[in-house]
Amino acid sequence: MQAPGKGRWAWLAALFVSSFAFSQGERLSQCTACHGPDGNSVTQGVPSLAGQPQLFLENQMILFREELRRSPVMTPILAGMKDAEIVALAEHFSKLKARPVAQSPSDREVARKGEALAKKLRCGVCHTANFQGQKQMPRLAGQREDYLVSEMLAYRDGKRSGGDTIMAAALYGVKDEEIRALAHYLSRLP
Amino acid sequence: MNLKIVALAVSTAFALTAQAQDKPKPPPAWHQGKPPAQAESKLAPHAGKMTETPASQIPVSKLKAPKGFKVELWASGLPGGRAMAVSEDGKKVWVGTRSIGRVYEVTDEGGKRSVRTVIDKLNQPAGVAVNGGALYVFAIDKVLKFNDIASNANAQPEDLTAKFDLPKEQHHNWKYVAFGPDKKLYVPFGAPCNICELPSDEYAQIRRYNADGSGKEVIATGVRNSVGFDWHPKTGELWFTDHGRDWAGDKGFHDELNRLSKAGLNFGFPYCHNNGTPDPDVKKEKACEGMAKPALLLGPHVAAMGIKFYTGKMFPKEYRNVAFIARKGSWNREKPSGFDVVTVRVGADGKGGKITPFLTGFNESKEAYKFWGRPAYIAQMPDGALLVSDEQVGAIYRISYGSAKPAAKK
Repeated sequence: MQAPGKGRWAWLAALFVSSFAFSQGERLSQCTACHGPDGNSVTQGVPSLAGQPQLFLENQMILFREELRRSPVMTPILAGMKDAEIVALAEHFSKLKARPVAQSPSDREVARKGEALAKKLRCGVCHTANFQGQKQMPRLAGQREDYLVSEMLAYRDGKRSGGDTIMAAALYGVKDEEIRALAHYLSRLP
Repeated sequence: MNLKIVALAVSTAFALTAQAQDKPKPPPAWHQGKPPAQAESKLAPHAGKMTETPASQIPVSKLKAPKGFKVELWASGLPGGRAMAVSEDGKKVWVGTRSIGRVYEVTDEGGKRSVRTVIDKLNQPAGVAVNGGALYVFAIDKVLKFNDIASNANAQPEDLTAKFDLPKEQHHNWKYVAFGPDKKLYVPFGAPCNICELPSDEYAQIRRYNADGSGKEVIATGVRNSVGFDWHPKTGELWFTDHGRDWAGDKGFHDELNRLSKAGLNFGFPYCHNNGTPDPDVKKEKACEGMAKPALLLGPHVAAMGIKFYTGKMFPKEYRNVAFIARKGSWNREKPSGFDVVTVRVGADGKGGKITPFLTGFNESKEAYKFWGRPAYIAQMPDGALLVSDEQVGAIYRISYGSAKPAAKK
C-alpha cells in the first residue's frame, strides 16, 4: 500500500499529464486544428470527419499509422498511437453532426448531373441511399467538395494507397468533369 | 488492369464508361456477374476490424463444441490474424493478415502468450509457412524468407520475390501457403475476379515450387480461389478448399472440398462449377467435360478457409484423420451460412463425405448477420490440441479434449 502524502500526489499528477494532457486534450486539438473544432473542416483539401461511420475513421487512422495509406501529414501524427486512442477519437468524431461547408456557388445544372451520375454508378449501394455511409464506407453527404474531387481522382488514377481496390474499379473511366459534378452534388447534401 | 470481363456484369451498373473504349472496364470484383434480379442487392463483403479487440470483449463462452471439448482464448491482440504456421517445437506460431499488412509472432511462454509483430507495411501478407527453422511470408507482391527466426528475433528477411514469378493482378491473389510432405512449397493463384475469362494462364491455379522458388510446376487449374489446403494423412494427396463464385443467388454456388488425385487436374473455373453445373455467364461448349468434381460440397457462400486433417492423439479416436474445416461465413447471401468450424468425415478416395458442425456460436442468429467472430484457420499443436484463428476479433482459440492440461491464463 502506498502511504498518503507526497508520493501519491506525484503519481496522480503523472497520471493526469499522461492520460489527459496528452491523449484526450492534445490529441483532439491536433485533429481539430485542421479538421475543424466540430469536425467540419474549413481547411482546403482537409476532409470533414463529423458524422463519419466510426469504423471508417478507425480504418483510415490505422492505414495512416501503418503507412499503408500514405500521407506525410497524417502518418507522423498517428505514429505510435495506440488502438484504444484511435477508437476513442473515431467514436468522438462519428458522433458529431455533419454539416455541409459551402465552397463555391451552387450550380443546379451541375448538381443535377452529379445526382444522375451517382444513381448510374450506384454509389448508394455501399454509401447508403442518402450517402450517410456505413461501417467501413465513408459518408459522402456534406463532405468538402475539393476533397471529394481530389480523392475520386486519386482513386480513379490508382494514386490512393491503402484500403480496397473497389473504388478504383468503381471510378474506372469516369471523366474529370463527371467527378466534379458528383462532388458538387454530394458536398451539398445534408 | 486489363481483365477480359464478362460483359453482362458491367452493362447496366457501369455503362457510363462507354467512352473508355481502349480498355474494358473492370467493375468492382465483388460486383462482377451480378444478375439483373440482384441488381439492387445491398450485399457487400463484411468489414474487417483493424483495431485490437481486448480479451474482455471476446465472448469465448458463446462458442459451443461437442461434449468433452474445451474452448479457451489462447491469444488475442492480433488484428486481422488468419493463417497460422507453427514452429516445430510448438513454442511459436506465426500469423498472417490481409489489410493491416502485418505478420505476428505468438510465443508460448510457459503457459502465457506474448505477441510481437515480425514485419509490417506489406501488401496483404496472408501466407505464412515454416520450413526447418525458416519462416516464409507471402504477400500479394512479395515473398520473404526469415532464416532461423525461432531462435533469432532479429532475423532479417531475404527477398525471394523474383524467384516465384508472381502475376500482376491482385484480386484473390492474397495467399495461403504450406510445405507439402514432398518438401515442396504449395502456392495458390486465385482468379482476379468473381467470374471472368482469365486474363492470362497465370491465374486460377495451384502451383508448387522447390523451397528456393525453383522448379515451378502448375499442379491444378480451374481453381477459382483456394485459401486452404492440407495433405491426407494416409494417402499424402493434396486436399483443398475452394470458394465458389458469387452473385448466383442464396443457393449457389457451393464452396468445395477438392482432392487432387493426380497432378494436372482441371477443376472447372470459370466454365463449370460444383458437380457439373455450367456457369450461367461464361459459357463454352461441353463446359464440364473432363473437369474434376469436388469430393464434397461445403455449402453456398460459406467461405471455406483452412482445413486440417487431425492426426493428434489428444482427441477421441473417431477424430483421427478427420478433416476440420473453418467456414468463415457468407456475405453474398441474404441468409447467413458458415460462421463455424465443421468436421468432415470422408473416404480417402473422396467418397461418402459428411459434414458435422464442430465449433459454433460465432453468429448469434440463423436468419441474420449478427456475428461477432469469423473462424478462419486451424492448426494442430504438438500436444494434439487445435488452434482456431478468428480474423474478425484478431484472436486464437485453443480446443482441447478431456483431462488434457489447460493452457494457463494469458
